[in-house]
Amino acid sequence: MAPAFKLHQVSVEYSGFPALNDISLTIHRGERIALVGPSGAGKTTLLHLLNGLLQPTSGTVEILGDRLPNLSISQRRSVHRQIGTIYQQFHLVGNLRVIHNVNAGQLGRWSLAKSLLSLIWPQQVDQAQSALAKVGIPEKLLTRTDQLSGGQQQRVAIARVLVQDPAVILADEPIASLDPERSRQIMRLLADLAQTLHKTLVVSVHEIEYAMAHCDRLIGLREGKIVFDQRPERIQPSAINALYAL
Amino acid sequence: MKSLEKFAPSHPQKTRILPRTKRWGWWLLLGIATVFSFVQIAGDGRRLINSGGWTLFWRFWRAALRPDLTSEFLEITLQAVGVTLSYAAFGTFLALAVGFAGGIVLSERWWEGVENHYRGRGRQKGFEFRMARTLLRVLLAVPRGIHELIWGLILLNILGLDPLTAVLAIAIPFGAITAKVFAELLDETVPAAFLTLINSGTRPGSALFYTLVPQTITDLLAYGFYRFECAVRSAAVLGIIGAGGLGYQILLSLQSLRYNQLWTLFFALCLLSGAIDLWSGLVRQQMRDGKAEKSSSGGGVGKKGSRLGISLWAAAALIPWSFYFLQPQLSLLWSPRTSMLIGQIGRESFPPRLPDGGVMVLFDLAGQTLAMSVMAALLAAAIGIFFSVPAARLSITLSGYPQALSQPVFVVSRIILLFMRAIPAPIWALVLLFILFPGILPGAIALALYNGGVLGRLMAEVNENQDLRPLLALQTHGASWGQVVFYGIFPAGWLRYLAYALYRWEIAIRATVIVGLVGAGGLGRLLTQQVSAFDYRRLPFTLLFYIGLTLIVDLMSGWVRRMMR
Repeated sequence: MAPAFKLHQVSVEYSGFPALNDISLTIHRGERIALVGPSGAGKTTLLHLLNGLLQPTSGTVEILGDRLPNLSISQRRSVHRQIGTIYQQFHLVGNLRVIHNVNAGQLGRWSLAKSLLSLIWPQQVDQAQSALAKVGIPEKLLTRTDQLSGGQQQRVAIARVLVQDPAVILADEPIASLDPERSRQIMRLLADLAQTLHKTLVVSVHEIEYAMAHCDRLIGLREGKIVFDQRPERIQPSAINALYAL
Repeated sequence: MKSLEKFAPSHPQKTRILPRTKRWGWWLLLGIATVFSFVQIAGDGRRLINSGGWTLFWRFWRAALRPDLTSEFLEITLQAVGVTLSYAAFGTFLALAVGFAGGIVLSERWWEGVENHYRGRGRQKGFEFRMARTLLRVLLAVPRGIHELIWGLILLNILGLDPLTAVLAIAIPFGAITAKVFAELLDETVPAAFLTLINSGTRPGSALFYTLVPQTITDLLAYGFYRFECAVRSAAVLGIIGAGGLGYQILLSLQSLRYNQLWTLFFALCLLSGAIDLWSGLVRQQMRDGKAEKSSSGGGVGKKGSRLGISLWAAAALIPWSFYFLQPQLSLLWSPRTSMLIGQIGRESFPPRLPDGGVMVLFDLAGQTLAMSVMAALLAAAIGIFFSVPAARLSITLSGYPQALSQPVFVVSRIILLFMRAIPAPIWALVLLFILFPGILPGAIALALYNGGVLGRLMAEVNENQDLRPLLALQTHGASWGQVVFYGIFPAGWLRYLAYALYRWEIAIRATVIVGLVGAGGLGRLLTQQVSAFDYRRLPFTLLFYIGLTLIVDLMSGWVRRMMR
């Protein structure tokens, strides 16, 4: 089976400013990876390469063995279906009810007719309900999404990915706006889900202790370059200090 | 989220959530309104569709491909464009002048200044001032409530077919609206500078021109350009009552079945109206940018400022030109005949009398007018939503949407929308009368076409300003472009679509009067008939019902909009 991701000499520039510089990286299926590093190190850019929102300025990105630019639109959609992303700001549609935001994870599989019907008469409610139960908010099924707190919205975003049932879960600073207790819960939830459902997980985090506790591989990024790529127990404190040094 | 930041909305919108019970109430209301308007239209069992008219209808559309481009007719068209443009320019100018003066005396701030000024001198005049302001408010509500077409018809009876009729018909209601808007602008301005001058003994008039006027003049001018856009459309409608210009020529060509000429005039009207929309849009954009720039960097007007200057000079030059072009007979205003006719109208309309059949007739017609406006607003909303995505220039590509098509689809949608709103509603109604029998249905569809053209553009702008990040998120979950539209774009925009649709409903109820002109039913038809027949004795009650109905619609629409916010 092809690895989940394979990056070869990848660079990304935003209007001349380099965000990622000559990155080569392979991520295997089933790995739980944390991207760590200071703000502006290129973590978000890397995640956007992995879910196909961005194309590299140079180099190649293989997602589940395919390079997106070579694919037709429908093939590209089927790759997207295999990758679920949880965004830092959730990117939910505020004035839809929770059920519809969760069902948005189904859209890659549903026909347009079925997705329209679902807006009036919600489809596959059981599945959405059980996903919400897994993230701990089963009672919010019919609430309007913008009535939820930040932590609850984050859970809806995770439930959306659960319903999508992708091979890979990407999470961009999923705990950035949460308090320590909820951060721990969410990280544990993501790691457990990845482990029990055999998903590949790539998550970017600021707090290195959460990364160490829940992931089996840490990639340190600084100024668009990989500084280290290690199992957590083999990372020296000095390497971490160097990563975040001002 | 660096790479996604450019898709964030420039003005994030907060929406308050409606309790679910109230939402049900709203859907119920919408359902009742829809059923009511259908029953009104189809209920009395009359035939609606005139199958004999299809030949003419197709001939009319086929002529679009062969407009009359002979130099002789082009000259007539150009002359008509000049007349319509001059009516609009001169009418807007007068409206701004009236609005400027009226806005000052209507504003709370001005009277506050006057009060402070005289209090310092030991005189107590507060009460009288407040009375004067309230009285002016009430007085100005009347010209505002009467549609420019009714003003046109009344002035036609007094001034005859002089250009002044059209100019004043635009200037009077627009002036009253501008006064209200300018008063609100003045009252929203921070008063510190003004009151400082007043408290240091400056006369209120001087203080005004040194503080509040320079603080608000850009907004007033920007609003003036918006009014100018509206005035072009009104000027075209006024042509239909015989005031000349494009509307008049269109009516002549339509009635003499010269469809090739008709399309030349249609295209001219689209070009004129499109050009004015574009110009006004750019000017207002530049004024906004200029203000933002000034407040952020404190100067640096630069290239944009000079372009704005050219626009303003061009607008200023348009006013004497239109005066020269129209050659209105100003002496009519103070001629003895005019004052005699006004006196006569005053005497004849008193004591007012109910129409034949009594007050029930008025209720019945009011019901028809309401149904027409509801139907028009519903259809217009449907048209607007249909075009809101193809006519929007989204800064993301919807995945799977054929990219080669998106540009042509955008251009064609925008042209269709421009065409729908450039052709005056009564002309649409006349075209529809080929295939429909006279009544409220052609009126409703005509109003829907015009308002749909406006709504399509507004709703497309809503979609353009949306937060695009949830849409990108949907795409990365594998949603197709159709699913992105229904799960991302529509849910995020629908509250504002609704607000715009309700606002258009308020406009549609006022505009029922202009399709009444060509026989579409309701109060509008009765009103135009009564004015044209010099039946001033029965006019006041009809006007009262009409204005009352518009106020009720305003209240209902405002209530729903507040509930939705």
